[in-house]
Amino acid sequence: MSDLALDDLRVIDLSQGIAGPYCAKLLADCGAEVIKVEPPQGDYARTLGPFPDDVPHHDKGGLFIHLNGNKKSVTLDIEAESGRTVLRKLLAKADALVESYAPGHLASLGLGYDDLKEEFPDLVYCSITPFGQTGPYSGYRGNSLTCMALSGLMYVTGDPDKEPLCTGGEPAEYFAGLNAFVGVLAAVEHRASNGGGQQIDVSMLEALGAADEYNTTLYSFMGAIRKRFYSRQLFAYPADIFPCKDGHIVVVPGATGFPLGMAVLMEQMELEQNPLFINLWMRSIQWQKFEEILRPYLLEHDWRDLLTRAQELRMPFGPVMSPGLLLEDEHMKERGFFQEVEQPEVGRTRVAGVPFRMSETPLRQGVAPILGEHTHDALLELGYDAEEARILRERGVT
Amino acid sequence: MSALPLSGIRVLDLTQVYAGPTCTRILCDLGAEVIKLEGLKRTDITRLLVIADNDSHDDFWNRMGYFLYRNAGKKSLTLDFSEPDAVELLKRLIPHADVVAESFTPRVMAQHGLDYESLCKIRPDLIMISLSGYGQNGPWRDYTAYGMGLEPACGISSLTGYRGGEPLRTGIAFTDPYSGIAGAGAVLTALHYRRRTGKGQYIDLSEQEAAIPIGGYALMDYALNGREPERIGNRSLWFAPQGCYPCRGEDNWLVLTVRDDAEWQAFCGAVGQPKWAGDERFADVLGRHRHHDELDELIASWTREQGHIDAMHLLQAEGVTAAAVLNPKEVLLDPHLRERGYFEMVEHAGGVRPVPKQLGARFAAFDTNVRGTAPKLGEHNREVLQGMLGLSDDELNELQEAKVIGETPELAVPLQMMQMMVQWPLTSLLQMGALGGLEPDFKKQLGLEQTAGE
Repeated sequence: MSDLALDDLRVIDLSQGIAGPYCAKLLADCGAEVIKVEPPQGDYARTLGPFPDDVPHHDKGGLFIHLNGNKKSVTLDIEAESGRTVLRKLLAKADALVESYAPGHLASLGLGYDDLKEEFPDLVYCSITPFGQTGPYSGYRGNSLTCMALSGLMYVTGDPDKEPLCTGGEPAEYFAGLNAFVGVLAAVEHRASNGGGQQIDVSMLEALGAADEYNTTLYSFMGAIRKRFYSRQLFAYPADIFPCKDGHIVVVPGATGFPLGMAVLMEQMELEQNPLFINLWMRSIQWQKFEEILRPYLLEHDWRDLLTRAQELRMPFGPVMSPGLLLEDEHMKERGFFQEVEQPEVGRTRVAGVPFRMSETPLRQGVAPILGEHTHDALLELGYDAEEARILRERGVT
Repeated sequence: MSALPLSGIRVLDLTQVYAGPTCTRILCDLGAEVIKLEGLKRTDITRLLVIADNDSHDDFWNRMGYFLYRNAGKKSLTLDFSEPDAVELLKRLIPHADVVAESFTPRVMAQHGLDYESLCKIRPDLIMISLSGYGQNGPWRDYTAYGMGLEPACGISSLTGYRGGEPLRTGIAFTDPYSGIAGAGAVLTALHYRRRTGKGQYIDLSEQEAAIPIGGYALMDYALNGREPERIGNRSLWFAPQGCYPCRGEDNWLVLTVRDDAEWQAFCGAVGQPKWAGDERFADVLGRHRHHDELDELIASWTREQGHIDAMHLLQAEGVTAAAVLNPKEVLLDPHLRERGYFEMVEHAGGVRPVPKQLGARFAAFDTNVRGTAPKLGEHNREVLQGMLGLSDDELNELQEAKVIGETPELAVPLQMMQMMVQWPLTSLLQMGALGGLEPDFKKQLGLEQTAGE
């Protein structure tokens, strides 16, 4: 028995971009065999970069490499009948399909869940779209930005006198990918105990919206409409990012940091008696006064020093890491989070690791496939001969 | 609709606050029985956040909105770990548990002899997940962490900010729920493996690590080119124009992305500006990128005359990627989310309130509706300790008298003082600008009064 948790599962990843591929990558990292079915020109994420030295190449895109480790790449034009035939043969041996086309698109090709469920009754069919398969916005176009806007998260992010701000790094896509990962596993579990596959409908908007900490709750419990206010938490001020001598630091004194811990940290014991340090709401409301005390102190100290001393006082201060800081950081190195891989066409590079560690079934780190790398082998495995594989290739189906 | 996938699975939930409770609420929504443990001296701090109607009379800790959202459907058992008796009782519960979830800093569980190795001796196929800020090893392992510190720690804040401005946090602690969802995936993966092999295992989830991949593009740019990212506000790395534009009314905004030349033409058509469509400067993505500032002015000159929600529908009808920036109230009233049943009405000690779905996935074969209300503190003490462990009434009374279990918090701060602290100075927050509105008739606006009266 292999020590990969999901090595009994085979997944067809028909998705492109970020959310679907991230879901399928997590399944692959946990041991599933994932066959990425790409159009002959490739997943569009292959065009998004960043490329080494900014020279575009469909096998060198950093984002693509980040999202497609441990997968096999099979190119297939599903707009062509013969391409769809190959896909059906792949599905016959698959446990799950992950797709991210606009609602209705696959159905228009005869590949919707309803078209496939009789032929493949045990298939888990996971669809990821910006707004879900149903509802008035289901046909709308969306991305991480539109989901930030409609979820309410953007309204509460940023400065009060400026426009609402979108969080960096496409969070809605990754939230959706993670939810789809949970969804596929839940459906596989359900199949094991109850039998049968099913369709899963993942909405990027709802996946991100579920991260709303307390903003809708604040209205439905108190009638208060929260507004962005330097991104700070209403109930935990300051809990925000401040500049310090050599960068930035997140000042989070925690439930018990005021007044004593902060007074000790700032080496001004009289602050323990300061009402701004004693009373949360006074501090929150008279925040300018409080920051007149806090900011000068921070500007005289390095972030590592502040972080270490605050943590010694059991205050959950946090570091403000950039990609470079993360990739060079000692903690990350000791944890082995970033792993060096020999990526075809690119050479040695480092990629982000898995989101959790498992003691019996370690997750694997792998390289992303070059475009169509596994097409030929996959066709032969499905029973096509070399001549047929050549015809499919030269007809532009693969 | 058939049985839920995790029906028959029991989870002992020692987690608190946000990440861990998100993980276990997902397991609960998927059918697991989740027993949440809290110490009377150390109740979940979300029992003190966002109280119904800002009214803290009587047992206010049972009426908190923040707690309801994360703990709906779970059972509540109080066990105070500072009491050796409590640790023994917890160990007696282990044989009845498939999964233990905890979110302390790494030293805590071991201190009480509750590390995985010890628990495994009691139940060999146990699955245990630890959700911690920085993981179980490494120089930062003992660092305590709140979500507010972790988004910057995972690199996302360095990508978030106005152009040329300082790094900023999202207005919520979003790495917490993100880690919670990842944790639910990890537990499902472990359950899958256990089903095949009979083996349990231990899961180490670092909340910092879990969310790092969200910054994938920037991480890879550093890995491949040694380049650190610039903050670009609401603009896109790939598309132009993209931004957030002011609309009619106060603090109303619209976001839009023009993904290609056809979408640009569609946009110009939708806003009735054939002149922009014909302007050579804007004909391709590079031109639109170079002239982004001018385009922002032009687009804002149109959006200023539009309602933010109307403009979204108008542009989307023509195939333009656009969305209104909804405030929290507008999210609650949004017709799309309503039609999809995103908010469920839950009867709660604080009245009937909407609770958002926790899992962003819907299943054709079963419903992941919220499985009940949030438990009152200690509500299931008797059910769990008598039902599962067979304790007698006398034993329960002894535990109650020793304050190992109970229904009232024993916090360091006196309850009367806490009662004042949990009421928010809403009027002051409104005056300082942290709130955009305060509406005493909110229950009517949300249709809650009607529901409650039925």
